[in-house]
Amino acid sequence: MKKYLAILLTLVIILGAAACSPSTPDPDPSTPPTETAGGEVTDPIVNPDPILIGCIQDTSGGASIAGKPNEWGVVYAVKWINENGGVNGRMIELHTRDCQNDAEVAVTNYRELVDEVGVCAIIGPPLSNPASAWVDLSTEDEIPIVGHFMDELCTTNPDTGETYPYMFLAEPSCSVQSYILAKYAMEDLGVSSVASLYNISNAYAVAHEKPFMEYVEDHAGSVLARETFTWTDTDYSAQAQKIASLNPDAVLLCDYANQMVTAYDNLRDAGYTGKILGANTMYPPFNTLVKNQPPYDCFFVQNYDLKDTDTGTIAELVEMQMTETGTDYPTSNVGFGWDATMVLYNAMLKAEDPTNGPEVREILESQTENILSSGGKYISIDPATHRPTLDLGMYIATYTEDNEIVCLVYRTTDYSK
Amino acid sequence: MSIQLLISGISLGAVYALVAVGFAVVFSVLKFSNFAHGGMISACAYAGFYFQRSFSNPPPIYLTIIFTAGVGITLSFVIDTIAYRRLRKKQSPNIYYFLASITMSILIVNLLTIFFGKNLYAFPPIFENTTFMIGKIRFSSIDSLILIVSLAILTILIFLIDRTRIGLAIRSVAINPATSQLMGINPDVTIMAVFAIAGALAGISGVLLAMKLSVYPTLGSQMMLKGFIASVVGGLGSLGGAIAAAILLGIIEIFLTYYFGSLSMPIILFVLMLIFLAIRPAGIAGRFAQEKV
Repeated sequence: MKKYLAILLTLVIILGAAACSPSTPDPDPSTPPTETAGGEVTDPIVNPDPILIGCIQDTSGGASIAGKPNEWGVVYAVKWINENGGVNGRMIELHTRDCQNDAEVAVTNYRELVDEVGVCAIIGPPLSNPASAWVDLSTEDEIPIVGHFMDELCTTNPDTGETYPYMFLAEPSCSVQSYILAKYAMEDLGVSSVASLYNISNAYAVAHEKPFMEYVEDHAGSVLARETFTWTDTDYSAQAQKIASLNPDAVLLCDYANQMVTAYDNLRDAGYTGKILGANTMYPPFNTLVKNQPPYDCFFVQNYDLKDTDTGTIAELVEMQMTETGTDYPTSNVGFGWDATMVLYNAMLKAEDPTNGPEVREILESQTENILSSGGKYISIDPATHRPTLDLGMYIATYTEDNEIVCLVYRTTDYSK
Repeated sequence: MSIQLLISGISLGAVYALVAVGFAVVFSVLKFSNFAHGGMISACAYAGFYFQRSFSNPPPIYLTIIFTAGVGITLSFVIDTIAYRRLRKKQSPNIYYFLASITMSILIVNLLTIFFGKNLYAFPPIFENTTFMIGKIRFSSIDSLILIVSLAILTILIFLIDRTRIGLAIRSVAINPATSQLMGINPDVTIMAVFAIAGALAGISGVLLAMKLSVYPTLGSQMMLKGFIASVVGGLGSLGGAIAAAILLGIIEIFLTYYFGSLSMPIILFVLMLIFLAIRPAGIAGRFAQEKV
């Protein structure tokens, strides 16, 4: 009797276990769309797992003025993507890290995101020092990185001229921006003699200054002085006086905001009254921080026309960011974060497996064409450089007497060196 | 050009002097270099900035300076209570003071970064023109103000230390705390007075440096190296020596940068400092407060 009872119980347990097991197998991300007998295509089974993406920005270091709005742009773009169906139905899960504008911290951030979190792609910062530390790592781990690290050394090997396979830039490089600025200065402003005052320890500044001077020299302009300072310097009066005594038509400033402010004030205090040409870091809050109010004869490159509410979404994005974060001034970096995310999103949309690094990389390289940026322009990646094609230009902006920023013209360049 | 460079050097030196005096006043009595002074300067700059912003019509700058001096005094007491008082009671080794002051400086900078971020903030300009001319020489308005304030501080401090009862107490505690206690002087009260002076100096420096540069977390700490050099070269603990050395430092720095460039300047400057200290280890003042570093 006991033997029958045991067999019966065993059967009940087996049947019960079978009843409790999943009725359908786990969806396979590689499952292709299936056809019914009538030839209709059914919806593919969507992988419920989110796509893990990393975002590394400087939110507490020396470039956090740019890093925080940049991160906001990425977060907002991911939110928008998820609210609009994700990547072919899969949601994106964003993991953000603060690199503190420190290459060593950036490597730690990268390792943590790749090894511990398991991200399949990274949105990088608008900083060249951290990004240049990832070029080998991203190749080794097959992790595509899209960002605004404008130094060309972050996307191209300077010795071989070959691209780093997994590094992609989503805005014009430092060189292109400098060529556009130099061209405008010489052709539109009539500048023929220039000087520069820049931080020689800052890769961003060096990557702007050198091509600018090359352009000027190649176009029969004269370079009167190339004055430098370092991170630890807080006063550039001596350099400013030397420049003022030479009285060039224009002086190039191409650093981060706080160095730009000191350089501008030191030049004006030294009696220099000529034109000041600036990198895109001359945007606000530069105009509110300089002591010589209001700043005058400043001409600088800008990625977006923040006041143009008809073209693109940048004005709307910036307004939202200012409201949400309580920021007093508009910053273009909101658009940087958005644009980099959209470039990556476009590649993932086209990929069979958006978490497959080599596949996404291949699409980023060869199929990134006419991605609408937040500024209303189109981003296409040149496969030979992993940077935008030269039809993506920059605005030339200035400050009015009322201390308002205004974009004068939109320019591109076909010059290259 | 040389005279213009000289004026620029004096202006730059005035900024260093402001920081160096804060160092010197603490060292003269407590015989250690209070590196937390840089963090205090930054904290006071933020206090002054938000004080000004809290009014629809910003108050005169001297009111802001009085306010930040008060904030500096309070902060100074807090730092003494947290970091130094127990060390004094336990008569801890000198290195503990050094570590405590460095720690407090880093702590303040990081707290400011957490609460305010690294965004830059600007004080409203107090001068219509940032420079003024005397003959053909151009003077920076804010640097001239800083120089005047530094010299005024020096005068007040010398008067305070040489001509008042609290000054007498400070001098006696500086020479021998135990003996001065036997003479009826309370060393704890005297030390609090010293910290109050240093705190007030940090408050004044915070506003003036913020008006020259901007408000950001490392505003004060980035000046500490030059301020410390000036206080050492001036003769540790000597107020007049610190100001003289700071101005000398500013002048040398400007001339070296102008003629040799910014990269060569620190190398030449530090070699000159080493040579000077090897020849005259007691500094410009010719005497230094002994014991701790």
